[in-house]
Amino acid sequence: MSLLDIKNLTLEIDSQSGWIKALDKINLVINEGQIHALVGESGSGKSIIVKAIVGAISDRWRITADRMTWRGQDLLTMSVRERRKIIRSDISVIFQNPKSSLDPIVPLGDQLKEVILATRLEKGMFWNRAKARKKYASELLHRVGIKDHEVYMRSLPHQIPNDVCQKFMIAMALASQPKLVIADDPTRGMEITDKSQILKLLSRVNKVRKLSILFVSHDLLAISSMADHMTVLYCGQTVESGRMSQLRKRALHPYTKALLESAPSFRTDLPPKSPLSSLGGTIPTFQHLPIGCRLGPRCPRARKECVKVPEVRRIHEHTYSCHFPLHRDQK
Amino acid sequence: MNDLLSVENLRFDNCHGKRWQNKGSKFTLGPINFSIQAGETLAIVGANGSGKSLLAKLLVGLEQPDSGSIYLNERKLEHYDNKHRVLNIRMVFQNSNESLNPGITLGSILEEPLKLNTRLDNQARIAKVEQTLKLVGLLPEHRFFYRHMLSDGQRQRVALARAIILNPQVIVADEPFAALDPSVRSQTVNLLMELQRELGLGFIFISHNLGIVRHISDKILVMKQGKVVESGKTDVIFHWPKDEYTKKLVHAHQALINGQS
Repeated sequence: MSLLDIKNLTLEIDSQSGWIKALDKINLVINEGQIHALVGESGSGKSIIVKAIVGAISDRWRITADRMTWRGQDLLTMSVRERRKIIRSDISVIFQNPKSSLDPIVPLGDQLKEVILATRLEKGMFWNRAKARKKYASELLHRVGIKDHEVYMRSLPHQIPNDVCQKFMIAMALASQPKLVIADDPTRGMEITDKSQILKLLSRVNKVRKLSILFVSHDLLAISSMADHMTVLYCGQTVESGRMSQLRKRALHPYTKALLESAPSFRTDLPPKSPLSSLGGTIPTFQHLPIGCRLGPRCPRARKECVKVPEVRRIHEHTYSCHFPLHRDQK
Repeated sequence: MNDLLSVENLRFDNCHGKRWQNKGSKFTLGPINFSIQAGETLAIVGANGSGKSLLAKLLVGLEQPDSGSIYLNERKLEHYDNKHRVLNIRMVFQNSNESLNPGITLGSILEEPLKLNTRLDNQARIAKVEQTLKLVGLLPEHRFFYRHMLSDGQRQRVALARAIILNPQVIVADEPFAALDPSVRSQTVNLLMELQRELGLGFIFISHNLGIVRHISDKILVMKQGKVVESGKTDVIFHWPKDEYTKKLVHAHQALINGQS
């Protein structure tokens, strides 16, 4: 059974020129024990999806969906209180910038102890509880690979290196023993050794605890090393979605192909210093979104029909939305 | 062939507190030796706080080295010799977003180095600005634009235009691709390589992205805690890394690439 099932999620933002669709019919299914990657450039609405899942969006935005369920319970119709309860115990988020999302004036140990749910601790008399909490916190830190937990629990966020901060964020996310962890660009701005450490940690947690991860990033190298499934977003539309191996072998949408080809690491046949393939133009802003397929103006294969929003088509597990997908002209 | 830029035994000491008391933590950069030829690209790789940005600052003259010398075209570059240095070594800053003045038009931003360093009159300056804008793939009309009217990729182009407007021989760039999205990033990489071919620039850049480093650089300098641990040809370093730290870097990169299959 799928953990999180989102169908046709649409989010509209009010602006001077009327309601703008920041997200346009997003589909996303996350199964148990799966690492699902959400790829897109900045402004493609990745972070808004994360916010919509945990319910941290503004009241003035209009959100509609055919289906948005958490293990069969509808997230949109339930009361705020119920929803918060689910999110508190089952979903946790690792935020983008660890240093700025941690409290700068509270020691890290106290911040970590605060998020531990009382129900996860051993039952005991009240004078044992503080000790139990501390023990649980230090176990968590050992699990994410922090050895000197005594030192780091006393220190403030600005005193410790960036990757340790990120490990603290992961420990805080794992503290409530969630079913789903949403990692919002956890490796941004990190160097490669720290990055591979964090990725290893996440994939180990995924294997050992059967934890599902929604991995949001635009770093394709990091994503392809750990994810099983991938959804590609462009300007608030889902472009393509399917198994990672399948997408890498045979991308059907021109955007996915361009994205994969823009990373020189994927191509071993590329001679050094040769020009990389890239799409012309830049990502449109939300005020000037093109109608129909939003890739239209940048797409090398765009034709007249592209002013209509393409239907979602499906080949087995692989879904894509394009009028002229890449496999059509091979026939 | 003559070296375009060479650096010999460059050192920089940074100590907190008073020097004669010999207190406080001390950070020493160097000694650093390297040389590049025209049309070559040197990549500087290393951990955070290993002195990469400091090295870039020393090269463009923002900081004064304690000892060692920088030679440009076999001629020694003194620290006070700003006139000569500014015309030949230009820098692209890390965050093109914040390094452009939001209050003046792009035309004035690009005109400023011309006003300060050349004797061109108004007409000639405008012509030069327009020509440079065209060179980096923007329109001449962009000189009436302000920073907020441009997208990320276009801003990066303007930052690059500001660097090449004085026809320098060397460009030093501090993480020029870090803040860009993949599709815009490959555009910028292409632009840089094209400019390098056309103008024969020497290009020194700092990056975390080993995929791009491998693709565009001829030489690599690996730094750790202010010391150069390894340097050499890109191919050699990626295939046969010698130092422990370099091995770790390359293996981590390879593991990420191979992990998916």
